[in-house]
Amino acid sequence: MHAGEQHGSGANDLWVVLIPLSAFALLAWGLTAYSLPWTFALPWAPSLGIELAFHIDGLSAQMLALITGIGVLVFTYACGYLAGKPRRGRVYFVLPLFMLAMMGAVSADDVILLFLFWEMTSITSFLLVGFNHEDPHARASARQALLITMGGGLAMLGGLLLLAQMAGVYTLSGIIAAAPGFMDDPRLHLAITLVLLGAFTKSAQFPFHFWLPNAMSAPTPVSAYLHSATMVKLGIYLMLRLDPAFNDLLFWEVLLVGTGAITALWASVLALRERDLKRILARSTVAALGTLTLLVGLPSPGAGLAAVAFLFAHAVYKAPLFMVAGNIDHATGTRIIDKVTGLRRYMPWSAAAALLAGLSMAGLPLAFGFVSKDLMSIAKSEADLLALLSWTLVLVNATAVAVAAVAAVRVFWGRVETPIGPVREVPWTMLAPPLFIALLGIEFEIVPHLADPLLIAAAGVVSPDLRSVEISASYDLSTLFSALGLTAGIGILLYIAWDRLHDRLHRIHWLDRYGPEATYDFLLHGLARLAAWHTRALQHGRLSGYLRLTLAALIAITVFAAWQGEGRLTVDGYWPDHAWAWLVACSVMLAGALSTLFLQDRLALLMASGLVGYGAALLFLFAGAPDLAFTQFMVETILVVVAAAVLPRFGADPYRAEGTRWGDLALAVAAGLGVIALLLHLQGFPVDSTLPEWFAGQALPAAQGHNVVNVIIVDFRALDTLGEIAVVAFSLLAALPLLRRDKGARDHAERAGNPP
Amino acid sequence: MNLLLILTLGIGVAAGVYLMLSRDLFRLVVGLAILGSLANMILFMGGRPGSLIAPVIEKGAEGLPAGFADPLPQALTLTAIVIGFALLAFALVLAARAARNGADPDRLRASEPKPHEAVKPPIEDW
Repeated sequence: MHAGEQHGSGANDLWVVLIPLSAFALLAWGLTAYSLPWTFALPWAPSLGIELAFHIDGLSAQMLALITGIGVLVFTYACGYLAGKPRRGRVYFVLPLFMLAMMGAVSADDVILLFLFWEMTSITSFLLVGFNHEDPHARASARQALLITMGGGLAMLGGLLLLAQMAGVYTLSGIIAAAPGFMDDPRLHLAITLVLLGAFTKSAQFPFHFWLPNAMSAPTPVSAYLHSATMVKLGIYLMLRLDPAFNDLLFWEVLLVGTGAITALWASVLALRERDLKRILARSTVAALGTLTLLVGLPSPGAGLAAVAFLFAHAVYKAPLFMVAGNIDHATGTRIIDKVTGLRRYMPWSAAAALLAGLSMAGLPLAFGFVSKDLMSIAKSEADLLALLSWTLVLVNATAVAVAAVAAVRVFWGRVETPIGPVREVPWTMLAPPLFIALLGIEFEIVPHLADPLLIAAAGVVSPDLRSVEISASYDLSTLFSALGLTAGIGILLYIAWDRLHDRLHRIHWLDRYGPEATYDFLLHGLARLAAWHTRALQHGRLSGYLRLTLAALIAITVFAAWQGEGRLTVDGYWPDHAWAWLVACSVMLAGALSTLFLQDRLALLMASGLVGYGAALLFLFAGAPDLAFTQFMVETILVVVAAAVLPRFGADPYRAEGTRWGDLALAVAAGLGVIALLLHLQGFPVDSTLPEWFAGQALPAAQGHNVVNVIIVDFRALDTLGEIAVVAFSLLAALPLLRRDKGARDHAERAGNPP
Repeated sequence: MNLLLILTLGIGVAAGVYLMLSRDLFRLVVGLAILGSLANMILFMGGRPGSLIAPVIEKGAEGLPAGFADPLPQALTLTAIVIGFALLAFALVLAARAARNGADPDRLRASEPKPHEAVKPPIEDW
């Protein structure tokens, strides 16, 4: 999008807003008409204990309200943002799909169902991040998001199944209810780790935090919806959901608090390294997600409330900030914070929305962010946090203040240094949503009874011990000045020193070379290289190499079978009257086979191979198989004649005097020995004569045939014989064009004056 | 006596395999022909050949005389002989054509797209 380029407000596309709007209306009506929780179940795979079970309690209702409510505004925003863009229909298709998947994920009770919806959000996220699929960077980001979140999803499936096995039920509510019963199960820690892998990857926790900033290649409505307000909260949701079961478990607490603290701190540091407004916001989203994880991990009941409130507050201030970042991009063509400044003159409404949302993000009074910050400090004091952790949170919140200042103040209120061309305010469809959500954040603080019941219901699910709560903040001056004043003070210092800190951090290059993202790239490229290497190693294009490998494998299998098998090598001393005929047949075959080793001339070779066939025919004749003998004689004769006819086409023989290939000889001898061993082994087994007796008995009465072999072929196994005929016909059909085109090429060459 | 046959088959298979491993396509086909004949024999061995009496019911007789040769492996072998013939005939023509076009059996990838061709981007760009 270039500066000044306008495509109208996209009001024609506004019908898509009906989708989230109707869902939101339905939810609002349900919440007023029926009391929570709502449950709904349909049998799906009863034999496996899996059903389409939904369970909507306070937590689910809060998430649903967020998904549909923010959805209404994001869809509106998307209409303006995508106006005039090609392929925007895809977004209008995938975005509602994503919304449905999210709604399913937060209301599913069955763990399999949860997994399905969970992965559906990953897939739709992949499609949305890769919307600009002509941009290789967008493709790489989409793939990264998909691989990481889906890999985590698979781990989560394993963990959920383990939990379900331990609990004996496949529903989340059942697992939570049965949790006290399996606290001593040795598989518990493995199950928790696996489930948390899913939650951590989805919510971009360290060390999987890097996919979220990269996912900013998505169109801005997608970033605002998926990557700040809803999808990344899914991991938090799952942790909140399972928190009542594992709240007292030290393992759970340490993992959540530790990961959350590291994520929050590290993301705050990385936020200072970015210049792209959207990426700065994404880093601060990761920091917020880390803070949420930490809050869920805290064992005190107030922490659950704080987490629920912060989750809500974050969605309400981060979504408008993303939208404002999109507006800036839309109007100026850049999101680099050095290039845009003083935009308030051109974009007053965007500036207002940014300021309102920024107030909330900084946690200043009169904004909902303040309430959540207040609850957080209460939770911290309740939980008796380590001092280190406390300071971590202060730093993280201070960075949030600085980021809010960058997004709301720096780009809009800074000095205008250089004119950036014609900049116009974006259409109303892109202004109303951020303004509305940001105002909502303020309004919830002033009129608390609109949001509080929902939050309290949600918090009650997370912490059943919670008795009575008061969400509206108490304007206690001492609180204001001690905790929040400190955070705000540090935040303002960070904001002032932003450029200097950025330069320092930006120069630390090893951060790019090592770390999780570099490891991801290394593994991904390593996988491709491994595949390329082993394909080249196996598909090397040398025919003899393929044959050697195949033979060696066959021999190895034979040796293994002989070694493991039960029978033993058996030699019988049977010597009938017609043994002389067998002797002759074997001599002919041996003579043919052995002479191929010494003959150099191709025609002589062909004749020698013919000897082997004739020897076999002779043997058939003296083994009670006249049909086989005749067929073999005929086939061998035709083959030798045809081969002799084709022989000139092979041209000169460059391999006449190749010399002895000792390696091949060794392999050949091994193959021969393998066959001998196999046949000797075979002799040890008794013959089952049921089938021959049956065929012999049925040939005359059932098939009216005297020759039992023929009867088997054309009657009992007629279909098989039909297939055989087809094979012969097809091979002929395949061979004919090869022969003919050869002739055509010769004619062509002759016409061109080059005798072949 | 079966031992004699078994030894013959083993030696024959060795000779066939040795021929197949040659770089010459014609020798490969000849090796395939020898291996094919011997494989049919091995299949036939499943019925423990030894009887001279063909499984053919005499005119007027009710059934086969005692000690008849096993008809089932014979039927299977017969099918195998014909299929083997079809395979060999095709292999022969194919090899002849490949040899005529100057195909090198040790450079079977020669006709694949090169790394710099657009159909197959090189690994490095993946």
